[in-house]
Amino acid sequence: MRSFAVLLGKEATALFSSPIAYVLMTVFLLIMGYSFTLTLFLSHQPSMVHIFFQMFVLFMLTVPLITMRLFAEERKLKTLEVLLTAPLSEVAIVLAKFLAAMSLIVVMLVLSGAYAASLAWFGDPDFGPIYSGYFGLLLFGSALVGTGLLASALTANQVIAALISLSVFLLLWIIDNFGWLLPSPADTLVVNLSLSVHFRPFAVGSIYLSDVGFFLSVTLLTLLLTVRALARR
Amino acid sequence: MLPAVSPVVLAERVTKWYGPRRAVTDVSFAIAPGEIVGLLGPNGSGKSTIFRMLTGYLVPTSGRIEVAGHDVVEDSLGVRRAISYVPEDAPLYDHMRVGEFLHFMAGIKGLHGPKAREAIDEAAERLDLARVMELTTGKLSRGFRQRVSIAQALLGDPKVLVLDEPTSGLDPHQVIAVRDLIESLAGRHTVLLASHILPEIEKIASRVMILLDGVLLTSDAMKDAAHDLTLRLSADVTEDAVRRATKAIAGVHEVVADPDGAGRFLLRAEQRPSLAADLVSALVAAQIPVRELTELRPDLERVFLDLTRRPEAAA
Repeated sequence: MRSFAVLLGKEATALFSSPIAYVLMTVFLLIMGYSFTLTLFLSHQPSMVHIFFQMFVLFMLTVPLITMRLFAEERKLKTLEVLLTAPLSEVAIVLAKFLAAMSLIVVMLVLSGAYAASLAWFGDPDFGPIYSGYFGLLLFGSALVGTGLLASALTANQVIAALISLSVFLLLWIIDNFGWLLPSPADTLVVNLSLSVHFRPFAVGSIYLSDVGFFLSVTLLTLLLTVRALARR
Repeated sequence: MLPAVSPVVLAERVTKWYGPRRAVTDVSFAIAPGEIVGLLGPNGSGKSTIFRMLTGYLVPTSGRIEVAGHDVVEDSLGVRRAISYVPEDAPLYDHMRVGEFLHFMAGIKGLHGPKAREAIDEAAERLDLARVMELTTGKLSRGFRQRVSIAQALLGDPKVLVLDEPTSGLDPHQVIAVRDLIESLAGRHTVLLASHILPEIEKIASRVMILLDGVLLTSDAMKDAAHDLTLRLSADVTEDAVRRATKAIAGVHEVVADPDGAGRFLLRAEQRPSLAADLVSALVAAQIPVRELTELRPDLERVFLDLTRRPEAAA
C-alpha cells in the first residue's frame, strides 16, 4: 500500500510539475469564465446547464492532452522497463496513473465550483442539477481518462496517443446522430454508445443508473484493457 | 552443465518470437547463487531479450524461467522482488533529482523511512553519488547516469542483479570503477551482465555464456577454452620441424607460426596431464633447441571466434 502511495505521489508530482497542467487549467478557466458570464448576462437564469455542456466538450479536448504522456512517454524514455521490472503489479501502476490524471480533473471541477458559488451568492439556484452535473462530469471524466490511458499504453508516440483518444471521443460524442438512422435493434445499440446521450440527463438534473453504469463500465473496461496491454508484452 | 547447488536462475528451453522474427531460440542455462556470469554476444544477438524475460518485462513465447524459485510467468511479482535490473542506456526519470529518484525507487521496492535512507546512503556511497544527489538526473553525464541506475538496482538488497551493458559509454576510469563494484558484489548477489565487449566481460565474469543470433552457443566459454590448450614454443627451427616432432603426440591438433614473432610457434592440443612432458621429450628427441614452452591462459577470444564462425561454416 505504501509502495502504491509512493507511485501515486510520483505520478501526481510529474503531472502537477509539468507546465501542461497549468496551461490546461488556465485555458479551461478562461473559456469557462467567459462562457459562464455571457450565458448569465444573456439568460439571467442561475443555472449551470450550459456550463456543464461546455465542460463536457472541453473535457473531450483536454483529457487527451493530460493522458497522452502517461505511458507513451515512459515507453519512449524506456523508464517503463524500470517500472515494470520493479515489484509493482500492473494494476497498481495503471491505477496510480489513472488516479493522478483524475486528480487534475477533480482540481478543474473544484475550480469551476467558483461559478456555482457565485450563483449561490448572488441568486437562488436549484442545487439538484448542479450536484448531478458535477457527479456526471466526474464519471464522464473517469471514462475519458480510462480511454486516454489505454491509448497511451498502446504507443510510444504521445501525439498518436492523443489523436487516438481524441478520435474515439469525437466519434462517441456524435455517434447517436448516425445511430438514429440505423434499423432496430442496431440503432439502440449504437445510440447507447453515445457519450452525449448518457451525459445529457446529468446536466439537467436526472441521474439514471444506466448512465452511471455506462460511464463506470467504460472506465473499468478501459482500465482492464490497459492492464492487459501492459501485461501482454 | 548445471551447477551442483540449487540454481538461483534457471532457464529451460526458452524461446521468444517478436511477431514473425525469432529473437531467442531454445536457450537453457542455470546460474548458482553468488556467481558473476557474463552473457557475451554481438549487438542484436538476443542478450537484452533474455534479460527482459528474466526480469519479467517480457514473457517467453515458450519455455520456463525461474528466479529464486519463482516462475516469471506464474509469479512475476515474486521474481521482481528477487531481481533488480539495470537496462541498457540507464533510463531515468529526467525531471527527478538523484536523491528523489533513489527515494522513489526505494519506495516502490517496499523500503520506507529509516530503512530507505540507510539503503540509499549505502548505495550512494558505493557508487560515489554524494555530490550529485541534488542534481536532476537529466543533467547527469553518461557515467553518472549509469551509476545512478546501478545504485537503484542495489536498493532492497536483491538476490539477483541483471546489468545490461553496464560499462557502455563510460570512460576508462569509470569502467574500472564499475568493474570493481561488480566484483565486490560477488557472493552477496548473483550477477548476470551482458556485454558485446569481450575483454571487458572476461575481466569481470567468473563464467561466460556466448549467444549468437538468439542461440546459446556455450554456457561456459572458459571451460571450453580450457578444454583445448594453447602452448607457445620458442625455438630456432622451421614450422615443419616442429610439426614433424609433435606429429606422433596424442592430442596435438595444430602447429602454427606465432604471428607475434619469428621462431615462435603456437601448439593447440587437447588438455591432458602428461602432455607437457610428452612434448618436451619429443622436442628433445628431435634435437630441437627449446628456449621456451609456455602454457597460455584460456583464450576466450579464440573460443568466441570459433563458436561464432561455426554456423557460417556449416551454411
